[in-house]
Amino acid sequence: MTAAATRTRTAPADGAAPPAAPPEGPGPTAARKRHRAWDEVPRWQIYLPLGVYLVFTLVPFYWILLFAVRPAGSTSLLPWPMTTAHFEKVWTERSFGVFFQNSLLIGIAVLVSTTVVALAGGYALARFDFRIKKGFMLALLCSQFVPGALLLVPLFQIFAELRMINSLGSVIIAETVFQLPLSMILISGFIRNVPPSLEEAAWVDGCSRFTAFRIVVLPLLRPGLVAVGSFAFVHAWNHFLFALMFLSSQSKQTIPVGLNTLMGADSVDLGALAAGGVIAAVPVVIVFAFIQKWLVTGFSAGAVKG
Amino acid sequence: MTIFPGRRRAALALALSGVLALTATACGDDGSGGAGGGGTEGSGKGKITFWDNNGGVRTDVWKEIIADFEKANPDIDVEYVGVASKEVQSKYDTAIQGGALPDVGGVGAAMLAGIAAQGALEPLDERLEKSSLFGKLNKGMVESVKAAGGQDKLFTVPTSASNGVLYYRTDLFKAAGLQEPSTWSAFYAAADKLTQKDKNRFGYTIRGGAGSIAQALDAMYGQSGITEFWDGDRTTVNDPKNVAALEKYVSLFKKNTPAADVNNDFTKMVAQWDSGEIGMLNHNLGSYQDHVKALGTEKFRGIPNPTLDNGTRVMVSNPVDGLGLFSSSKNKAAAWKFIEFAASHESNSKWNKSAGAIPANTEAAGDPWLQEAEPTKLAAEVLFSGKASIVQLPYYLPDWNTISKADNEANFQKVLLGSMSAKDFADDLAEQLNEAQAEWKQQQK
Repeated sequence: MTAAATRTRTAPADGAAPPAAPPEGPGPTAARKRHRAWDEVPRWQIYLPLGVYLVFTLVPFYWILLFAVRPAGSTSLLPWPMTTAHFEKVWTERSFGVFFQNSLLIGIAVLVSTTVVALAGGYALARFDFRIKKGFMLALLCSQFVPGALLLVPLFQIFAELRMINSLGSVIIAETVFQLPLSMILISGFIRNVPPSLEEAAWVDGCSRFTAFRIVVLPLLRPGLVAVGSFAFVHAWNHFLFALMFLSSQSKQTIPVGLNTLMGADSVDLGALAAGGVIAAVPVVIVFAFIQKWLVTGFSAGAVKG
Repeated sequence: MTIFPGRRRAALALALSGVLALTATACGDDGSGGAGGGGTEGSGKGKITFWDNNGGVRTDVWKEIIADFEKANPDIDVEYVGVASKEVQSKYDTAIQGGALPDVGGVGAAMLAGIAAQGALEPLDERLEKSSLFGKLNKGMVESVKAAGGQDKLFTVPTSASNGVLYYRTDLFKAAGLQEPSTWSAFYAAADKLTQKDKNRFGYTIRGGAGSIAQALDAMYGQSGITEFWDGDRTTVNDPKNVAALEKYVSLFKKNTPAADVNNDFTKMVAQWDSGEIGMLNHNLGSYQDHVKALGTEKFRGIPNPTLDNGTRVMVSNPVDGLGLFSSSKNKAAAWKFIEFAASHESNSKWNKSAGAIPANTEAAGDPWLQEAEPTKLAAEVLFSGKASIVQLPYYLPDWNTISKADNEANFQKVLLGSMSAKDFADDLAEQLNEAQAEWKQQQK
């Protein structure tokens, strides 16, 4: 590991301020022109495509809501009369209450473990140069091409050896491992966007590397952390394969596995299936509603610089 | 400048040890014997695990049966694991490779050969001979699962059978002045008459997505009147009569069915039939309760598949469901007790009543509920009366599940869409089946 790696590529090595550059890109006049051109676009050309897209997006959701609240046997296209019977059925009889808790636990654990490990790994990738760095990055990227199903049997055998089959831990570990490469790459991108000179200033003030990271860098990574964390949570929440294969007891199963059991070999309870779908979707919708602002900032920040 | 050289070496050594340890772990054997072996008779007490191969939909009735069993056998605990039917094959396959099979599991005839070929199931012939169940199970179903296992051994105790059913909307038929579609001619005429595309009404809904092959085979053999799947070592699938029947059947697509049917799996097919105005639907007994919930008992009937005009009825066999005892079980005695209990008169009757299926237990098949569930009663009559010819599909071929699903469903969609001829489809299917049959025969030598 070399200290040179800690230097920024954007700031001069001697710490001198860069010479003032002439303003680049469109100035206020250009912005005004662009704004005027935007104003001249007829409204229908904006709202019609958006409306069509919205219909395509919302109709399936409406279908799910309709079936979830409509009494069995009803063919009405309106959710009236309304019933909560399907929700009660899946929550209690079909154990979705338990599945929900398990999914939540797995999602939060994967969120925390992925974010913490990706933060450490991403920092190393962004700030240090080491001999196999390029190869390591390549390996991280290549790992994204390996489908989980391919590793199912070896993973199953490993967890069986570790007596972790039918333990939520097996799913948490497997999910975290599969999330880490992408998360690490994203976080390293976010960290590269934070000028190392900020950290160096903190070191000069007597901070250790860790303290400087915690006080100076970490707060600036908030959008990136939200992006990576939410991505990890949602992926773990929705992921089906590992939970299906590694967990057997009814008391350990997760929402996606539970949803799948609502479709029988020859029969399907559409009301219960739709209610289960709503229960599965609600946390994801809530998460995205709260983090939307940071998510967009986070992903665009990570995308700017590799 | 190199920093922390000592730590780097230590970290490298630690990482290397970790990799080696994981590799060694991955290559290890947990002692369960993977596919089989390692099992013991056990004390007949303690805990056993049961995997339901149609989890969710049948969970309630299984839990009831398990509660009854535990009451009768207080020394045995049964852990119920419901596995979705679509995933059960991969769950079994992974557990066979990874070595974590249950003690007892539901195994349908369609996947029986594949699992038995991996040595995961215990032959049950001897246990059955000594059991109170002996002589009380439907002989046809016992023979069917024996044949499906592919080794002339009984690998599952049969519990239920289903059969192809033609569901039709009595209200729509009455309004159109149509008679029951009991013959193929009446079926096609009704499909035509009930179709009013401008009003989004269709005479029939065809299965174009997952599960389409079995339904197409039912229509082919039902119309051609061919009663054997094999003619020597060659399949009759691509017999010209079957090809002609297939051409007629797929001609319904878009003419008398919704265009979206090309992607119809049973879920979509049943959903649109239950909630729309479609005249007829082919499915098995399993969806009967769904139709009752959606339409009540007054608006539809379920009758056996149509006959030819001369009254000949030919249908393809449906997979018989059963319970298997896994060879890796450490408590086979308790597991067998559970299988015996689940296949006994009371439990088998309870389960099949809930599923609307035909009981394997002959005493259960005589229970009054069967007379009240019309489609089940009619299907049982057809199946056991000897008045219908049942074409036995080759469930014993380990490749049957792949050939009849993943390998040919896309081709069937091509036939529906007109980019492949019915003859090419049937020839292709026949070639795969002939190859699989030859390979299987070679393995039997």
